[in-house]
Amino acid sequence: MTTRLTCLFLALLPWCAFAANERLYVNDKKAPETRKDLEALQAALVKALPQARAATVCIEIGEGSGSGVIVSADGLILTAAHVTTGVKKKVTVVLEDGTHLKAETLGLVAETDAAMMRIIEKGTYPFVEIDRSNSTRLGDWVFALGHAGGFDKSRGSVVRCGRLVRIAGATLQSDCILIGGDSGGPLFDLTGKLVGIHSRVGEQVQVNMHVPMSEFINNWDGLVKGEFIGEGPFATKPVKGNGFLGLATDARPEGGLRVTKVGNKSPAQEAGVKEGDVLLKLNGTPLEKREQFQDLLKEMSAGDELTLELERDGKKQTLTFNLGAR
Amino acid sequence: MIRLLVALGGVTSLAAQQSLESAYRTTGTAVVAAFEAQRAVLQTSSAVILDGRKEAGYGVVISPVGHILTKASEFLGVKTPSITVDRTGFPAVKILAIDSEWDLVLLKIEAAGLIPVVYAPTSGVPQGSWVVANGATTRTHRRALAGIVSAKIRDIPATGGPALGVVLKAKSKVLEIEDVNPKSGAKKAGLQKGDVLLAIEGKAVTKVEEIAEVLKDRKVGSMVKVTFRRGKDEQSVDVRLATRGEMFTELMNNNDLMSGDVSKRRSGFPRVLQHDIPGNGKIVGGPLLDIDGRCLGMNIARANRAENFAIPVEDLRALAERLMKQAVQPE
Repeated sequence: MTTRLTCLFLALLPWCAFAANERLYVNDKKAPETRKDLEALQAALVKALPQARAATVCIEIGEGSGSGVIVSADGLILTAAHVTTGVKKKVTVVLEDGTHLKAETLGLVAETDAAMMRIIEKGTYPFVEIDRSNSTRLGDWVFALGHAGGFDKSRGSVVRCGRLVRIAGATLQSDCILIGGDSGGPLFDLTGKLVGIHSRVGEQVQVNMHVPMSEFINNWDGLVKGEFIGEGPFATKPVKGNGFLGLATDARPEGGLRVTKVGNKSPAQEAGVKEGDVLLKLNGTPLEKREQFQDLLKEMSAGDELTLELERDGKKQTLTFNLGAR
Repeated sequence: MIRLLVALGGVTSLAAQQSLESAYRTTGTAVVAAFEAQRAVLQTSSAVILDGRKEAGYGVVISPVGHILTKASEFLGVKTPSITVDRTGFPAVKILAIDSEWDLVLLKIEAAGLIPVVYAPTSGVPQGSWVVANGATTRTHRRALAGIVSAKIRDIPATGGPALGVVLKAKSKVLEIEDVNPKSGAKKAGLQKGDVLLAIEGKAVTKVEEIAEVLKDRKVGSMVKVTFRRGKDEQSVDVRLATRGEMFTELMNNNDLMSGDVSKRRSGFPRVLQHDIPGNGKIVGGPLLDIDGRCLGMNIARANRAENFAIPVEDLRALAERLMKQAVQPE
């Protein structure tokens, strides 16, 4: 019975796809032994690399940068939660050829470091296939890509080869050597399928940790919807009302709020708000009363982006910046 | 840069864990055994540079009679150098010629019948190709470590740009030297505290930015003519440009802190081949071999835990020929 079911299943698969994704025989040896084994490993890696590289991106966020990988033609990206740090944030994605694209962070899993984002500019992007069958085994040969130390066009993303040396629950460990800037980057099997996302390293160069694909697959819907799943340690859940702007206002009879004080080194001051400015709109909502302004801010959290429309010396201007932490 | 967390992952029950025995990891004995043919080349054609009894680095054997290439700045830092090739020790090491731009030195030991490396036809192998270099060694036995070619061949500009190695007096209307770095080309050329810089390569300089402008496109290791005033005299000297990292302690970033032993000079190279061999800082100076055991280049810097640089074979060959000629007919 089992045999028949297996045969049916195989028959349903298109042959070409099956052949292309065949598991490399060297993976089932404890170690490569012959010149032929080494050449087989090398040939598989060299073949899988171009597509893997095309789909690997650098993620520029705030002062730092991480990596990620595109997994759909319309620009869905998998990365690490400690790279995106939160949901619905604006970030910039850089492709291997240097193209900069606008992107938005989607959901994340705070306990295991999984996160998703999406390129918001319309286009057809190079992508890689996810290993949905959880087919990797301990000792399998893998390769890592990532923009180690940040984007460098003349260098490109850096490829490293190694083996899966430990599998433990929500963590894969390999001896592909990672470094800062690689976080969120992809780990591939030798058929070029995505098996993990770089997360963290130990002090020894052999200790490199990745989030397995199961973490993404099991949380897929929540990630797509932009949910903040679970609590820490890789991302801190936003708390409503803990945002800090750092200014005092008075309502004007004709509408708008006049700024009476700007806190020294506050987010408002650093964004360029000045005493005497008249605040007209917060995130598009016309401002009328102090209490209303405070209520709107209470719905926001530290790190959230806000847009302030204001008037200074009769001229309107718009400032966009992030709330600080209270 | 986003910092990778150093802490390990959540606690998992031991039963759910699977761990690969160390022998089967990439640096493990069973995997390295597959590279025995390449290791045999390292045994005969790589040189071990010793400082007293301690290994200080490696070299590339390029002639049967004992011509050896290694990294200049590392070799010059060795107090009591001697060399081992295969199992034979050579106590007398002569410096024949140096190329400061590439940080390469040609050495000579009194030997005969050595087996020089065979140069690979090109360094233009695809990324992902196997490469092999020296791992830790014993007195008689070379070990191998394997990795792959891991990025595009390119130049590595000098960190912070090439520099003279002088500290200028702040808030001074003229470019007065406050301090001269002891390892700098400025020191060697005889510049002193109190000297006032007037021109570089004939171009008048009055501001720090103007110095930077003149030096920006020059190469590390090249000479520039510096005109200065000492007392009432105006003089000119030739100063060798160096990377800031060689002279001043570079600010360590997070990536350096997690990398351990990085090369002191790791920038300012005209062209490098990058690989991921998990060696330590002593990897430099030795040959980088391809799967056929041919010399694909010479390791010149461990930039960080994930990135090593090698001088590509085309450049290495040309440099070797030039240094050999220079050695025969000293300038």
